[in-house]
Amino acid sequence: MQPLRRRLISSSRLYHSYDHPAPPAATFNQVETAILDASLPHIPTYGFTQTTLLRGARDAGYLDASTNIFPRGPFTLIHYHLVIQRLSLAKQSHILQRSNSNEQPLSIASKVKALTWARLMGNKDIVHRWQEALALMAQPTNVTTSVVELSSLADEIWFLSGDTSVDSSWYTKRASLSTIYASTEVFMTTDKSHGFEETRNFMDRRFSDAQNLGVALGSLNQWVGFTAHAGLNILRSKGIRL
Amino acid sequence: MATFRKSPFPASQWLIRDFLAPSLIPRTSRTIRCLSTTSNSAAAVSPTEPSYEPQRRIPSSGEEAATSSAPLKKSLTQAQRDFLTSALRVNQAGELAATLIYKAQTPVVVAAHPHLRPLMKHMYDQEVSHFSTFNALVAKHRVRPTAMYPVWTVMATALGWGTALMGREAAMACTEAVETEIGSHYNEQVRYLLEMVENMEREGQDIGDELKTLVETIRRTRDEELEHLDHAVENDAKDAVPHTALVEFIRAGCRGAIWVSERV
Repeated sequence: MQPLRRRLISSSRLYHSYDHPAPPAATFNQVETAILDASLPHIPTYGFTQTTLLRGARDAGYLDASTNIFPRGPFTLIHYHLVIQRLSLAKQSHILQRSNSNEQPLSIASKVKALTWARLMGNKDIVHRWQEALALMAQPTNVTTSVVELSSLADEIWFLSGDTSVDSSWYTKRASLSTIYASTEVFMTTDKSHGFEETRNFMDRRFSDAQNLGVALGSLNQWVGFTAHAGLNILRSKGIRL
Repeated sequence: MATFRKSPFPASQWLIRDFLAPSLIPRTSRTIRCLSTTSNSAAAVSPTEPSYEPQRRIPSSGEEAATSSAPLKKSLTQAQRDFLTSALRVNQAGELAATLIYKAQTPVVVAAHPHLRPLMKHMYDQEVSHFSTFNALVAKHRVRPTAMYPVWTVMATALGWGTALMGREAAMACTEAVETEIGSHYNEQVRYLLEMVENMEREGQDIGDELKTLVETIRRTRDEELEHLDHAVENDAKDAVPHTALVEFIRAGCRGAIWVSERV
């Protein structure tokens, strides 16, 4: 229980300082990063396999045996890919800030959409191998890391988009974005259309579904609140001390 | 001083004003400037410039001043980040509850005792400003808000409404209990933060405006919460029946809520 709890906490949202540099990421050390970095170009050919790690280790100038530093084998490669792609979202400056002033800055919702699409396009080159990855990610030993990584992605997208809601919607927003992203990602693995047009349409439909649901829930909430207030005020007007 | 130099006053007047100036400067910054034998950069540039910079770190020894020109920027430790995370989360939850308690109490209390309207409004407005301060901090520092948000919303509203129905004294006793608990909680946070700042200072680390502002914010909030406590006691909180039972019950509830909010 303790290691799992520790792992969940260390990767969950902790105080993000602007004055102090972020602590060095404990996930991958220097050697691991070197090997994994060198492995990335081999993924389209060899997939998320031990072979890719081996090629990466050779390219980085390490012995074949050095792949033993990855006890989880190919899953580490998947994890590395997820982390790298998530962190690269912060560099999507064309979405996050419009440089020329004649273009209107995007709304939060359209930033979320654009960033989600940008993240999906990060899988573009390896999408024919992504089903293997999804299978590995769903294995019981890996599923915690995968889910944590998915929620970190949703958190990153909402944060980068400039969303500042800190009530219950913090949770619902992240949950719905995670659902949308995960389902679209699965859809993308079978998409053969030009430029992933079908995936784009699929994602747009998911976003509008979520929006409709949000509007419906919001209206219901408003109606309940209004009725309760009105009822209370009627009772008060009748002279009942409430 | 720059304004004086530009001003068209003759030199004699200039002198008189310069003579008067030190009395306007806070004592600490002046004494440090006069006694400092180290090459404090601020003092070295212009010793007569009465600029008020209480935040400037004075090197504790000449050696330190020579070796570390810029203070270290070290990342916060895991323990420090854990503390800041749960502190911001629990403060936000607390202010949410406080806002809702006053919001629920106000219509009932004011209907029976119209003279309390300004006081209730004053306390409510302060809570709203605390709540928005901590909301902004939670969002800025990417802290996860408490998962119990809907639960606290319902419970705080029920508490405020319930005590208000029991009468003015009970409502004030509720304020007394809540503010006592919150005040001592903020006090603990300030103590921990000051200790942390002191340790960082001893290691020659740069504390940064972020933490300094946070300490100031929590201090100011604490003072305002304790002011509410005084208002409650002035308004006969002690006359609530049964006073001890009610206050102890609410305080226990607050402690439980704080414990939970720090974790989830």
